[in-house]
Amino acid sequence: MMVPIFAVLLLALVAAWMGRQTAAIACLVVCLLLSIGLFLFEVYSPEYGFRMPWIQTELDGSGALPRGLA
Amino acid sequence: MNIASPRPLAALNYLYLLLMLLVIAAILTAATAMQYIGGELPCPLCLLQRVGLFGVCFGIIATFRFGEQGRNTGLSLLFAIFLLVVSVRQSLLDIYPRPGHAYIGSAVFGIHMPVWCVLIALSLLIAYAIKLALLDLREARAFTLAEFPTLARAARAVTAYVVLLCTINLVSVIVQCGFDACHTTGYRLLQSAH
Repeated sequence: MMVPIFAVLLLALVAAWMGRQTAAIACLVVCLLLSIGLFLFEVYSPEYGFRMPWIQTELDGSGALPRGLA
Repeated sequence: MNIASPRPLAALNYLYLLLMLLVIAAILTAATAMQYIGGELPCPLCLLQRVGLFGVCFGIIATFRFGEQGRNTGLSLLFAIFLLVVSVRQSLLDIYPRPGHAYIGSAVFGIHMPVWCVLIALSLLIAYAIKLALLDLREARAFTLAEFPTLARAARAVTAYVVLLCTINLVSVIVQCGFDACHTTGYRLLQSAH
């Protein structure tokens, strides 16, 4: 998946350089859509989904806020 | 010379964009150098951050080629936001050390690459915000880069360099990933079959 992304990105840059605006923008939009798709695929976990439970915080259950936050 | 008159304003705008392109090219050069000299293979999210940086370059190069248009600025901003989202997510993935998760690569000035990318993406967004807020380009849009020969030569040189960098990255991605998922264990096409 990464190869097509860089391939259309290079095509977009070359097309812009050669003055083909419509082709350049079309390639760049395809590149962005592929990149978003790959990003979502890479960060999705079968266990956690898109959540990041390792950075979630919770109160300790005592109900008392730490000194300075009360 | 009145800087608020259209011609100097257009020159200032192109110079500003050229400096932004130079900074991004330097960052991409550093990343590529660390890959080849330091032997630090980029992870998939690292490669997507490079895509974000090249996308911002595209908007600037398109402005050089087709003149100042809102569309080009918009594309650059979209890729700057993409860079910010990817780098923030990667920073949060590795922020809490656990098995299989740690910041990839060596730290530069004590900061790892995804955290640098957060700062770079924010800097790019701020740079565009300052440009849009301070440079009123309504009348300056009529001036193309070709009307400033020195700037045009410099822009062509940096553009060619960015295209070369993208070509190197494409070849590198083909060798590292083949047509499959990317891994940081080695260059897939250079590994022996057995």
